[in-house]
Amino acid sequence: MKYLIVFSICCLFAQKGITQVSVRYDLFIRDTVLNFSGKEKHAIAVNGQIPMPTLTFTEGDTALIYVHNEMDIETSLHWHGVFLPNQEDGVPYLTQLPIKPHSDYIYKFPVIQNGTHWYHSHSGLQEQIGMYGSLIFNKKKSDPLFRPGIDDLPTLPIILSEWTNYNPNNVHRMLHNASDWFAIKKGTTQSYAEAIQQGQFITKVKNEWKRMLAMDVSDVYYNKLMINGTSEKQYSEFKPGDKVRLRISNGGASTYFWLTYAGGKMEVVANDGNDVIPVLVDRLIIAVAETYDIIVTIPEYEASFEFLATSEDRTNSVSMYLGGGPKQLVDPLPKLKYFEGMKMMNSMMKMNGNLDDMGMQMSFNKMDMNVVMYPEITGAANNENSRIESNNYNANEISDIVTLNYSMLKSTVVTSLPVDSPVKVLKFELTGNMNRYVWSLDNKVVSETDKILIKKGEIVRIVLYNGSMMRHPMHLHGHDFRIINGNGEYAPLKNTLDIMPMETDTIEFLANVEGDWFFHCHILYHMMSGMGRVFTYENQQANPLIINPKCAQRKLFSDDKRPHFMAENDFATNGNDGNFMFQNTRWSFGTEWRLGYNDMHGYETETHLGRYIGKMQWFMPFIGFDWRYRNMGLTNHEKTLFGQIDEKDNRSKMSIGFMYTLPMLIHFEAEVFTNGIVRLQLMREDIPISKRIRAGFMVNTDKEYMVELKYILNRNIGIRTHYDSDMGFGLGLILNY
Amino acid sequence: MRTIISSVILIGLLALPLFGCEGKIEHAKTETVKIYGNCGMCKETIEEAAYKKKEAMAEWNIDSKMAIITFDSTKTNLDAILKRIAQAGYDSDEFLATETAYNNLHQCCKYDRKSKLLPSTEPTVNDNVDLNQDTIQNADESAQINIIFDRYFELKDALVKTDGSLASLKAKSLLEAIEKVDMSQLSPEIQTVWMNIVTELKKDCTSMTETKNIETIRQFFIRLSKNMYSLIKVAKYDEKVFYQFCPMANNGKGANWLSKENAIKNPYYGNQMLTCGSTKETIE
Repeated sequence: MKYLIVFSICCLFAQKGITQVSVRYDLFIRDTVLNFSGKEKHAIAVNGQIPMPTLTFTEGDTALIYVHNEMDIETSLHWHGVFLPNQEDGVPYLTQLPIKPHSDYIYKFPVIQNGTHWYHSHSGLQEQIGMYGSLIFNKKKSDPLFRPGIDDLPTLPIILSEWTNYNPNNVHRMLHNASDWFAIKKGTTQSYAEAIQQGQFITKVKNEWKRMLAMDVSDVYYNKLMINGTSEKQYSEFKPGDKVRLRISNGGASTYFWLTYAGGKMEVVANDGNDVIPVLVDRLIIAVAETYDIIVTIPEYEASFEFLATSEDRTNSVSMYLGGGPKQLVDPLPKLKYFEGMKMMNSMMKMNGNLDDMGMQMSFNKMDMNVVMYPEITGAANNENSRIESNNYNANEISDIVTLNYSMLKSTVVTSLPVDSPVKVLKFELTGNMNRYVWSLDNKVVSETDKILIKKGEIVRIVLYNGSMMRHPMHLHGHDFRIINGNGEYAPLKNTLDIMPMETDTIEFLANVEGDWFFHCHILYHMMSGMGRVFTYENQQANPLIINPKCAQRKLFSDDKRPHFMAENDFATNGNDGNFMFQNTRWSFGTEWRLGYNDMHGYETETHLGRYIGKMQWFMPFIGFDWRYRNMGLTNHEKTLFGQIDEKDNRSKMSIGFMYTLPMLIHFEAEVFTNGIVRLQLMREDIPISKRIRAGFMVNTDKEYMVELKYILNRNIGIRTHYDSDMGFGLGLILNY
Repeated sequence: MRTIISSVILIGLLALPLFGCEGKIEHAKTETVKIYGNCGMCKETIEEAAYKKKEAMAEWNIDSKMAIITFDSTKTNLDAILKRIAQAGYDSDEFLATETAYNNLHQCCKYDRKSKLLPSTEPTVNDNVDLNQDTIQNADESAQINIIFDRYFELKDALVKTDGSLASLKAKSLLEAIEKVDMSQLSPEIQTVWMNIVTELKKDCTSMTETKNIETIRQFFIRLSKNMYSLIKVAKYDEKVFYQFCPMANNGKGANWLSKENAIKNPYYGNQMLTCGSTKETIE
């Protein structure tokens, strides 16, 4: 109510013809409990709603946003894709200090652009649980670039998002521990049993030989997808023949959405808030944090038409209906052919973990390797004729369906940068490691690098190569960049660029606003793992909001330094088997134990502190401590395979050694103890036998061995049976965190 | 080995209660809605689409077309179930199936769909057309011919997609269009050509409708395309048409087809060798 009054006052001023209009919004941020998907869960609501309210301004206004943090935790708001002074950018510990619990904060900036944008919290994982909303900057009617037939259509702001019933901190932790629970929920385990069923056993073996875990196009299982915080909503105010402009932002934390429409082709008129020459498409994928303006037409039928947003992994979708009457559906997207994807990855992956594009120069989503998984483009699974022509992954050439790609985007205005400006060229390789969920640029995370210095007035040209196996939406704060997509001086402007594996893309921008600007992958869990850099201007003035820059930097770096904890224990008939681990980007600290119930079985623990080396992190040197005791009632010691006397009965020794991941994901461990005893060990855990059954084995030169079989009941509980050379046969309940 | 066997048994025992029992629907709510359909096969498909364990089930009556839908109101709602039924190809008053889903239904299930097309408020025909007898006849003639080509192109597209059942359906609709042609409406020049090819056209189309085997259909498509080519040489079509040739088709003897696009999309091989071939002639 309060802000309505203020707003109407502002409008009055506007009518009086005052040029600088301040438009004020008040945002009250509160913790709340919501039931989106059958369970009451913690969420954050702003002004009592999820998503946050749509904020609308007109170019030339001054935006005044009063933030009232009524939560017990810190927060911040970032204005995505907006040109503004650095202090208003909303990145905690980089451009401001966080908004303290139970305090107020004011963001104020002039609106100097028009287009569809959005805003979200940049603190921790708050974006996942409700802190995202649409931000619309209208074009002035008097603007010479006002496009009649486009800019005067009725508009519908749309923000896409996803919901998980898990606490996002837990999601993040599970990702770092390579939990395959999400794959089980999504039905994408891609186990040996499934591989055999589909005649793809060799594919699966090859995949593990190349040390890859089952590949998927997305990491997290979501319970629900949402359009403007809801689903299945009908907008019956639109009539047959009407045209509607959808201003779509992807506010999802990690979900790419396919957009399709039942009422014919969609007309793309803007991207990331910048006008493009209209292009007609059947479908498009919207990357995390991108925005698209799309015009749809309601056909002359007595029906309403489905607008469908499907997650990239196609496990979930959300619809809305435009128009009145019965709902005309659009074809749902068929399930992905995962083993085709696996085959494709096998052929691209070299043994050393680098990717091989086989001479295809890929850029701007034109070639989409994923088409091999799309039945609507390459035919149903197990169809003899579904083979792709050699090296043709251009979806638009091999099917009738027109899919948008970046090379089809062309700006309506000349976007060339001044020719006489100096050019600074930067190259980044997007690097990553799915097994340990480490995401980085040039194999370095934010906390391992310095800020990148740029000069005001120079052109910064960035060449990005994606050498990781996932796609990444790279976002630059405070600037739009041109993407060099072959459209010359009409190269489109963007602030978020989706880059697929093996693609090389060139972007450039004019360094024109001083400050510290974040450049990062916008998949929330990748960003929190440290996939980004900070650009800073040479000799710029210090940001008065950052009182203690050293301390702020430490806080900023703490995000990707945070260790992730995991633990599991098998309460078995023959003893307790378990381990715990703390791991971060480079370090791993953990203890394994086997505790028997009697003296004969005894107990043993092994503790390791190690550091992962290299991009693929297959190699980990460590120091260890072994402590074991048992009393077999015998005095003669067993010998190891090397003839050394084995001290299995009573040992408490330090060791040094290393672990190396061999093909087939077998961990090879070599260790030498302070008394000269050498131990070599081979181990493989979590062999996916079927959807929920995992097998494992261990064998070492102390003549110990173990085989195990596990059935996963749910995220934390499994049933495990194993045979251990020391402890014998055991059956138990395994609990893991 | 003993370990493995016993563990398999153990897992089996544990899994039993997980998969074994059929649950009853709790918090049951029942609604009766109309679902358009034809036959016993429709009944099966509709009920299967609606069914979800412990959540929803339906019973559809062939005569009344009414379905009694029972569902757990805490887990789902009527719309979600009707949407699933529509995705299986069946219209209700709430949801309309997509064309693909409807086309995928078995021949006997193809119920009559209520046309939802609104009476158009704007005149579709150009106002300036002079409505004398001659133009009307020409309009009829080109409409008759146009529809034949339209359906031929749909058939070709189905072959490009390597979709045998769709191609068979498209052949059927082409056959219908051919049978509807009123010779008296055709100009003498077209009449002559038409009389020469109509028997073969009908024969090839009929053969195509009798199979779903993509390779068989492609065989008949060779002669069909040749005849269509002789037709388009005398008749007029709205758009530019390209006469294209693949030297590998027909066991290396080569075969032709007509396409609306200059880019090659080979109907004889689909995406096996999609771009094999070249344009031989452009017909305007």
